[in-house]
Amino acid sequence: MARRIPRLAQAVLTIVGIYGAFRLVFDVLLGQPIPSSLLTMYMFFVVAGVYMVFTFTEESTRELVAPIRALVEDPRRKPIRNVVFALTPLLAAWFTYAGLQPRIEAPVELRSIHPAPPSSVKMFGKRFDLLKLEKEEPKKFRQLVAEGAKVYVENCHFCHGDKLDGRGPYAEGLNPVPMSFQDVGTIAQLQESFLFWRIATGGPGLPADAAPWISSMPVWETFLSEEEIWKVILFLYDYTGHRPRLWSENADHSKH
Amino acid sequence: MPTTRNIDEAAMRRGARAITQLATIALIVCGALAAPAFAQSGDKVKGAEIYAQRCAWCHGEKGDGQGPGAARLVPPPRDFTFGLYKIKSSGFDELGAREDDLIRMIRDGMPGTSMPGWKDVLSEQDIRDVTAHITTFVELDKPKKQVDYGTRIATSAESIEQGKKLFLEGDRCSECHGKEGKGDGIKSLKDDAGFRTWPRNLTKPWTFRASNDPKDIFARITNGIPGTQMPSFVEPASKDKLTIEQRWHIANYVASLGKTGMRVRPERTVIRAAKLEGEVPTTPEDARWKQAEPATFFLVPQLIAKERFFTPSNDTVTIRALYGDKDIALLLEWDDRTKSIPGDERAEKIADPEIAEDRIAVQLPVEIPKGMEKPYFIMGDAAHPVTLWQWSSGTTKTAESAALAVARGIEKVEARAAAAGGLTAKGAYRDGTWRVVMKRPLAAGDPKDDIRFAEGVFIPIAFSAWDGSNGEKESRHTLTTWYWLLLEPPRGNRPLFAALGVFLLIVGGEAWWARAATARRPRES
Ligand code: HEC
Ligand code: HEC
Ligand code: HEC
Repeated sequence: MARRIPRLAQAVLTIVGIYGAFRLVFDVLLGQPIPSSLLTMYMFFVVAGVYMVFTFTEESTRELVAPIRALVEDPRRKPIRNVVFALTPLLAAWFTYAGLQPRIEAPVELRSIHPAPPSSVKMFGKRFDLLKLEKEEPKKFRQLVAEGAKVYVENCHFCHGDKLDGRGPYAEGLNPVPMSFQDVGTIAQLQESFLFWRIATGGPGLPADAAPWISSMPVWETFLSEEEIWKVILFLYDYTGHRPRLWSENADHSKH
Repeated sequence: MPTTRNIDEAAMRRGARAITQLATIALIVCGALAAPAFAQSGDKVKGAEIYAQRCAWCHGEKGDGQGPGAARLVPPPRDFTFGLYKIKSSGFDELGAREDDLIRMIRDGMPGTSMPGWKDVLSEQDIRDVTAHITTFVELDKPKKQVDYGTRIATSAESIEQGKKLFLEGDRCSECHGKEGKGDGIKSLKDDAGFRTWPRNLTKPWTFRASNDPKDIFARITNGIPGTQMPSFVEPASKDKLTIEQRWHIANYVASLGKTGMRVRPERTVIRAAKLEGEVPTTPEDARWKQAEPATFFLVPQLIAKERFFTPSNDTVTIRALYGDKDIALLLEWDDRTKSIPGDERAEKIADPEIAEDRIAVQLPVEIPKGMEKPYFIMGDAAHPVTLWQWSSGTTKTAESAALAVARGIEKVEARAAAAGGLTAKGAYRDGTWRVVMKRPLAAGDPKDDIRFAEGVFIPIAFSAWDGSNGEKESRHTLTTWYWLLLEPPRGNRPLFAALGVFLLIVGGEAWWARAATARRPRES
């Protein structure tokens, strides 16, 4: 039978493996590196967790530290020990030095995408029942959608994109980036009245828990009529093929 | 990468994109295997459906480029009823483009315009179908010829040198594209439909409709850009006619002009101001600007509030910053095809009326925010005022000028004299580029209206620009959202001492451990 991997090596491998997985998933697969401050925090918990698991019983603790003790106490290992003893302070000194260099990363600002709207949102009510309209008055429905498309291409595509994918010609210059309506995480999760509120009041209308309030989404009630906003909402659902969340599912707009 | 994350949304989008890419690759592979089946042309009827759903709102139901979106687009959507296409590799004397050319533009899109690439939503067959539909808007013979590329001349220092000579010779290309290729030629150009066009800025290859591969540039030089004033250089009547070999040299030269250093790097959201000993630079020419790391940002047209603006000409701005014991200086650099000086005859001739001064403005919060709460990114808000540093290019009667303002919202802007906050500014225009230096003491003016700079903290900073020859003034301009300015503290000795301390501590600990272990051993064994 193959020799068992020593406990210490197991612990180290686990930690390195998790670190590698973080890097692989975020940096390579998603192309969006985790900010190092966040990664440091995650890794702290990982190390603490691994330590707890590996020192669960006294025996396992002993097994874990055995190689380290042997290294120091076994005279036959003296050469290795000397190397380790020389490298450890050098590495620690280097990390201290690098760590104390002025921090160079910009602050990370996380924002909740779908904040709870103020209670007045319900007030807007529903002007068009999308599903009903589509079934019962298909002709009128198509007409309204076409008018909504016009509103969209005259006003929204610059940011949200011709393909409604959030990648309009100016999207790259905006921070935060405009929403992709094709994404299942946006309008498919929402009700029409929520959309109405977001479109009518834009970035400046976001409540306090949607910090950092820097969205470039315009306040559309200054440019569009109520009618036009409802039509563009119809269009958003029609073009993407998504359906609004039903009223019965209701109540909380949980954060995503 | 934007510093503000839409939690999970951006990541999901990237994941989705990776999947689409894989799917595209799979499609291409399948396409290659099934080539004969795909080679036949598209289905016009199916194409008409796709066109009505995806394309008509820009290109118009009748293909006349008059869709509802058209009015607010520069350049305007193509009118398909003429059969003129910008990107074609058919013969220069043939009307129309080859099917491959059209498919390519539809699949990959046209950078620098609102025409997106459709490969992520339309299949290869869909694209063939819609292409077949587009060509029904006008009766044309299929082009039979193809650009004769001869034998490609690989790029080399000599080829580029020869290309440069040909580019400048008799003002062949520089007449429109400018001496350095920034599109700052002195002509006012209109396309066939009467729309204003600007010669391409050849130093920004990412704005090319096709690409800056020399083969693509060769095809453009050969065929020109139909419908615009970019001429063909094989036209027998042209006095500037070029041989195949000469065209390759120019193509290699143009490809070498790309200034990739001026490209926006999305992860670079911080302008790092390095500390200087002594005075900060006051002119754009100062050699010390080389010590400052440049950061380039997109300029987005102001389509958010008040009178909106949809037709920008400036697209990016590059910032450098340096500071000393007393002052901070910013170098703002942006490509602007026109030096807009009202009163100047030549400037007025090129400009769209009514000409105004070129301008740039820096926006900073009056108080550096402690938490995440920043002022509204356009002119701040009532609770969070912003200070604006403005520079204007001057007219024939007045010199360039600097001004200050404090804003508490778009409607609440209060002008102040530059001297009140100790602001000075100096600009210079050369070959299609403005370079403006703004300087201010680190602490100056009124704490109610002016920012006090502090080392080592991230300070929100944003910019606005006006091209006075492009009808830009007041709320009609381009802008950026918030980025960061960081006055990097000089690196003192602290890290070194701390590192030394840690080193000694650990060595001491190890020595003690080793001794203790040796002392214990005899007893244990
Ligand atoms: C200047 C760019 C810009 C324009 C123009 C613009 N938006 Fe937005 N929009 C944004 C940005 C950025 C966000 C994401 C930040 C936020 O939630 O406010 C957003 C978010 C939204 C949301 C919220 C989606 C969600 O999942 O919560 C809706 C709905 C929306 N936009 C609709 C529209 C409509 C309809 C128009 C045209 C009438 C429009 N937008 C025009 C920039 C823009
Ligand atoms: C948001 C508006 C918009 C939409 C939607 C759009 N286009 Fe375009 N398209 C443009 C613009 C603008 C241009 C002109 C770009 C230029 O002149 O540089 C253009 C140019 C073209 C060209 C000309 C290429 C050339 O070499 O001259 C073709 C072909 C084309 N579009 C096909 C399509 C097809 C097919 C669709 C639908 C699948 C589509 N477009 C959707 C805006 C749009
Ligand atoms: C009479 C003016 C004029 C002259 C002379 C001229 N160009 Fe252009 N060029 C233009 C205009 C205008 C455009 C932009 C057309 C448009 O609107 O898309 C352009 C675009 C281009 C492009 C961009 C192609 C793309 O894919 O987007 C290249 C490359 C180019 N020119 C190279 C040259 C070279 C090389 C020469 C000299 C051999 C030259 N031009 C001479 C006016 C000119």
